[in-house]
Amino acid sequence: MYSPVPQQYRKAKLQPADLLVIGLFVFLIYGSVMTAERWNGELQPAFTIDLSYSSLFLYSIYSLFRASLAYVLSLGFTLVFGYLAAKYKTAERLILPLLDIGQSIPVLGFLPGLVLGLIAIFPHSNLGLELACILMIFTGQVWNMTFSFYSSVKSVPKHFHELSDNIHLRFLQRFYFVELPYASSGLAWNSLMSMAGGWFFLTVCEAFTLGNNEFRLPGLGSFMAVAIEQGNARAMIGGVVCMILLIVGMDFFVWRPIIAWTRRFQLDEQQDDPQEIPYFQKLIQESKIIRKIETFFLLVIRGSSDRSKITNAKENREAREDHPIIRQLRRPKSWISSFLKSQFAAFLSSKIAWIVFILGGSWLSAKLYVFLQPLDAQDWILILKSALLTFSRVLFTLIVSTLWAVPFGVWVGLSQKRTRFFQPLIQIAASFPAPMLYPIALGILAFFHIGIGFGASILMLLGVQWYVLFNVLAGTTMISRELRDTFSLIGISRIDTWKKLFLPSIFPALITGWVTAAGGAWNASIVAEFIQYQGDTLKATGLGALISDATAHADYSLLAGSLLVMIVVVVGFNRLVWHRFYQLVERRFKFER
Amino acid sequence: MNTPPLMELKNIYQTFKLDSGRKLRVLKDINLTLNQSEVLVLLGPSGSGKSTCLRILAGLLDPSEGNVFLKGEKLETTNPDVALVFQSFALLPWLNVYDNVALGVKSLDLDEEETQNRVKHAIDLVGLEGFEEAYPKELSGGMKQRVGFARALVMQRPILFLDEPFSALDVLTAETLRKEVLTFWLSKKTSIQSIVLITHNITEAVSMGSRILVMGANPGEIKYSIKNDLPYPRDEKTSAFKSLVENIHDVLTEAIIPDTPEWVPPMFAANTIESLPNVSLTEAVGFLEHLAEEGGRADIFTLAHKLMKDSLNILLMAKASELLDFVDTPKNQVVLTDLGRSFIKADINRRKQMIHERMMQLKITQMFYQKLLDNDELTISKEEAIQTIHEWLPNENPEDVFDVLIQWGRFGELFGYNDDSETVYIDRGEQ
Repeated sequence: MYSPVPQQYRKAKLQPADLLVIGLFVFLIYGSVMTAERWNGELQPAFTIDLSYSSLFLYSIYSLFRASLAYVLSLGFTLVFGYLAAKYKTAERLILPLLDIGQSIPVLGFLPGLVLGLIAIFPHSNLGLELACILMIFTGQVWNMTFSFYSSVKSVPKHFHELSDNIHLRFLQRFYFVELPYASSGLAWNSLMSMAGGWFFLTVCEAFTLGNNEFRLPGLGSFMAVAIEQGNARAMIGGVVCMILLIVGMDFFVWRPIIAWTRRFQLDEQQDDPQEIPYFQKLIQESKIIRKIETFFLLVIRGSSDRSKITNAKENREAREDHPIIRQLRRPKSWISSFLKSQFAAFLSSKIAWIVFILGGSWLSAKLYVFLQPLDAQDWILILKSALLTFSRVLFTLIVSTLWAVPFGVWVGLSQKRTRFFQPLIQIAASFPAPMLYPIALGILAFFHIGIGFGASILMLLGVQWYVLFNVLAGTTMISRELRDTFSLIGISRIDTWKKLFLPSIFPALITGWVTAAGGAWNASIVAEFIQYQGDTLKATGLGALISDATAHADYSLLAGSLLVMIVVVVGFNRLVWHRFYQLVERRFKFER
Repeated sequence: MNTPPLMELKNIYQTFKLDSGRKLRVLKDINLTLNQSEVLVLLGPSGSGKSTCLRILAGLLDPSEGNVFLKGEKLETTNPDVALVFQSFALLPWLNVYDNVALGVKSLDLDEEETQNRVKHAIDLVGLEGFEEAYPKELSGGMKQRVGFARALVMQRPILFLDEPFSALDVLTAETLRKEVLTFWLSKKTSIQSIVLITHNITEAVSMGSRILVMGANPGEIKYSIKNDLPYPRDEKTSAFKSLVENIHDVLTEAIIPDTPEWVPPMFAANTIESLPNVSLTEAVGFLEHLAEEGGRADIFTLAHKLMKDSLNILLMAKASELLDFVDTPKNQVVLTDLGRSFIKADINRRKQMIHERMMQLKITQMFYQKLLDNDELTISKEEAIQTIHEWLPNENPEDVFDVLIQWGRFGELFGYNDDSETVYIDRGEQ
């Protein structure tokens, strides 16, 4: 009765959707050929960017491919390290702080090491430089994905584990059939966010100065960087439009279908994201080619058509006991997994972890010490002063985003109609890399005679306000209809309804918004406080500008010092301030579900 | 001079827009009055629009058509005379019991002392002294609902609306709370003059209501109004109580599974399309099996009591089984037919076959099947199916009917449904 391939899948007739799918494949092949060609080419550190519209198409493909490869890397990293951290206590103790620190390092912190190192390894081809760029984009994507996956795997309900033990699922089977599907929904959402995070620093990753060397790779990011530097308005508009098309296209063709698809793995008690089922997905479902591929995968994964036998054998116990796949499942565990589970291994790994931690820590400190040696008291005072200024900018962005995003978000979130209308727009606005809008913002700032010192905070705001808005929207969905009815029946005033109902309800989500926005703002300061625009360099006093400046002048001591301070401030703030808020929220502000 | 009733609904119609954009009529021509010193009960199955009625009375929802009157005046805002208690308690988790109750007088700008007096008094009334400092999550369901009642009482409004306030509680707690609510209404020591109670529990309706309005579904309308003059406190074991419950049983049965179907002109009779009651087939099978154990004949409401099921639910199951010709339903009885008996004895495959055959006798299945056959690929999309059902049965929620049709059709191996592509296809089984 059960057939792994539904009936209507068996008919083969080419649908219009297939043309679209074929188009996508052609695009993929074309893109990878172009990219491969470029990678093998002679090393060309500063590619001459052509600012005509005709080159935009190819540049977009290059950028899209870099971002996609970086994403694949991020996904691999996430699956391995997120999983390890969730499953092994020792790994958790090592990985979580590393993620925390990694998240707080702005992309420029990775730049010198990656670029110099990889060019040294591939001195004659573009490969090294390309890899460096991809890895930089990777550092903008990976952290929140890993965090999300870690916490999902960690929160897999206990009865799933008991079930897996009971039917003797092996390591990979458990991963594939239980943990991955459970985590997939969160992973998909965070992938969308990560991709946006990757775009954010595209202008920096593709075009940068390191000491006396200028580096530029052909791509949308450097196109924009050059256009901004030259103040070429026509090119800037072209770049922005292209970026919007890229984001909308990705949103429509990739993320929405994926998010809708992962929804089927959601347990009922998991909170549903307020998303429409995209109609593009319907188109894809009509595609015969996709179905064929899906069918093929289904057969591979399930070990041919044996699956139907297993399902039907429910009534027949003996048949089940005897079934080859069941026997295979019952095979004694491999020695590797039994070793990993043994007490000895646990003891050993915890010791090893500590040794690695201590050795790594002391090696790093030694390195850092050498690096920081040249800095004198004056330098440190400059760093701390800059940190304080940037800190005030970060606070400013948080306050301003809260002031507008809370009322607006609640207003939108309280009505399903408005949510349906605004949600996709907000999603696209949030994915758009704010640095590409800096020239426009700078024009407006100049009009009002606002200097870069204060202007930088507004530029930072452009990028990070969306995090607050997003979370407020999510929080608003927690307010129940009954509570709103109660308030309006009692006749509680608007102000009191906000104070007693709306604000406390969104508070947990707002904190998450603040944490992400603050982290984003610190990172954004490196592009907002230091801008090359129309041949000038606009520089504000701040930690971000200091880092950008130090990178441009290859002043590695100053770079290390500034980075160190930024990491300490961000991680410290997370630990000391946000952590307390979270505890408060856990204790009091959660609705029971 | 006669004083106008506390509240009145006149010719109320309500239509909602479904997600798909289709319109669904949930209330049809509702006329009701709420008098001084009565407990008015709205009793009906789900989908009869009880809650919608209540929200219109409370001024929380504007009716599509018709008017709401409060003491003879047209109601234009939220109702200033009403306090509401919900099934889900609706308490704020970040406020303790005292503050949750004090919320009820928030709009009155009372001074500190006055507030304290009123809150203390309300807390006393519901027996929550000593719990003032507790947060909702520390309380049991019954205690939470007491907070809900205290918040309503502290408002000191003349009308109390109860939206299934006891159905989330366990039987004993619900019983106790019901009695307490009646006690403070009867004592006249509170501001409460009249109560409107929504419920689908018949015993609850009879033990509390002085007037019971029985509502029918699709679209929701008032079918009967029953006066209940039994003196309070009412004892479930008295014969008067029992006979009133019986009465309501008859009325409900008549509303849900009428013995004499509505008269249709003969030329249309063949085209009458049955709706499918929203019942899980597995549950209906359980119901039939239980009926067989009872000797194949039982009173619906006795059976509901034995199965500890909601009697409206059992009524719907009887309706479903009757549709499949497995039972007859003379009055309040369900009687297993010969077909029903052989269904019970059959194994799972035979049962599937029987459901298959029986379903094919239904007009709606035949038409749906034909619809599938008309399509080249023998499939239709969910969207189209729902649209079609909506045309056939304009008063039903087409999404619900679709779900039931698919669920039954899958069981009977009539059609299959692919949730990914959202298409229905003809199940050709393995033949």
